[in-house]
Amino acid sequence: MRETACHECGVIVNKPKLDREHQFYCPRCNATIYRPGQRMRYVVVMALSSIIFLIPALFLPLLSLNIAGIEQMTTLVGAIASFFDDGYDLLAFVVLITGIIAPLTMLLMVLLILIPTRMGMKVRNVAPIFIIYEYLLEWGMGEVYLVSIFVSMIKLQEMSMLVIGIGLYLFVGFLLTFFITILWFNPHDIWHKYELED
Amino acid sequence: MNWKTDINTGKVLCLLCDKLHDADKTVCSRCGGHLHQRRPFALLRTFNFSLVAIFFLIPANLLPIMHVTSLGTVESRTIMDGIVHFFSTGSYFIGSVVFIASIAVPFIKLSVLLYLIYIAKFEKYQQAMQGIKYYRMINLIGKWSMLDVFVIALMVAMVQFQKIATINTGPAAISFTVAVIATIIATKSFDPRQLWRNSSL
Repeated sequence: MRETACHECGVIVNKPKLDREHQFYCPRCNATIYRPGQRMRYVVVMALSSIIFLIPALFLPLLSLNIAGIEQMTTLVGAIASFFDDGYDLLAFVVLITGIIAPLTMLLMVLLILIPTRMGMKVRNVAPIFIIYEYLLEWGMGEVYLVSIFVSMIKLQEMSMLVIGIGLYLFVGFLLTFFITILWFNPHDIWHKYELED
Repeated sequence: MNWKTDINTGKVLCLLCDKLHDADKTVCSRCGGHLHQRRPFALLRTFNFSLVAIFFLIPANLLPIMHVTSLGTVESRTIMDGIVHFFSTGSYFIGSVVFIASIAVPFIKLSVLLYLIYIAKFEKYQQAMQGIKYYRMINLIGKWSMLDVFVIALMVAMVQFQKIATINTGPAAISFTVAVIATIIATKSFDPRQLWRNSSL
């Protein structure tokens, strides 16, 4: 039996022997104490495929609209760049970070945590990456971006013929694999072998 | 019921790797993270960032968030104008989505944050269970208020048809974004463990 404390109410709980199959909740506030993750190699595969979806999705056409012979096309990055063109640089920066860079960095962090530790590097040495990962969890807004694409599609449809580009399909694929990665990756699992040592 | 907690047993939890240390330690021996029994200045930070958010929400709702130019006439729209436009053209579903994301979510978040500060500051521990439920809720819905900003980015990028129709960003977009970011930082700064009776009384 090892002792730990609840993140959300501070109660001391005895951790039963972890079998990576069961989920544990705090007896006082019902917060999740432990959530089982998937095997690390599946997480790596999912993270890699997610990155492969995102890179072309950034630059391929997302939506295109045709009014009176003028064709207007945008991409995931191009939409954000429009804030730059309007002179709202700070806004463009924030949207770029939350919509695209944060989710992409999280995937790279997953790889940077899992691959070196699997190759025998000490977990302690990847702890800074771990801090960034936990921090970015709140700032990645890829799913908000996707819903906003649907909202603007409904707005734009009233104006004229709207054509959905390959970029949107790739972006949906990216988000699906991204969320599977986040769900499967339990960063606390990497500390497990240390539980036994100390 | 008296619970055994980190404070009344003199322990400190590493939030990064879940290792429990004695309270006098300041650096985690396993992962090297900094140890605090409670996040430092949590209440003050949460309160200040909530104030920033309230302050920036005023121009965000009063100033135009986009300028629509069509056939020579410029029309400036606030957030609320956009929602009214949806309802008047019959898109009730999408109108409610935008209303929830850009008006209801920031309002609910700020009310909950102030309520949580009230519980922690005035030690209304019997309401802790309520508080923690609301805390989890605003953690989930918080980021969705950015929806409107992304919508505007897409509209500005797509609707550039010179004289026929053009959409440009309005100044409210920036104050709205600042307000949303401030509420997210306020939620992150809050330490939910302060909602509970943890000292040995």
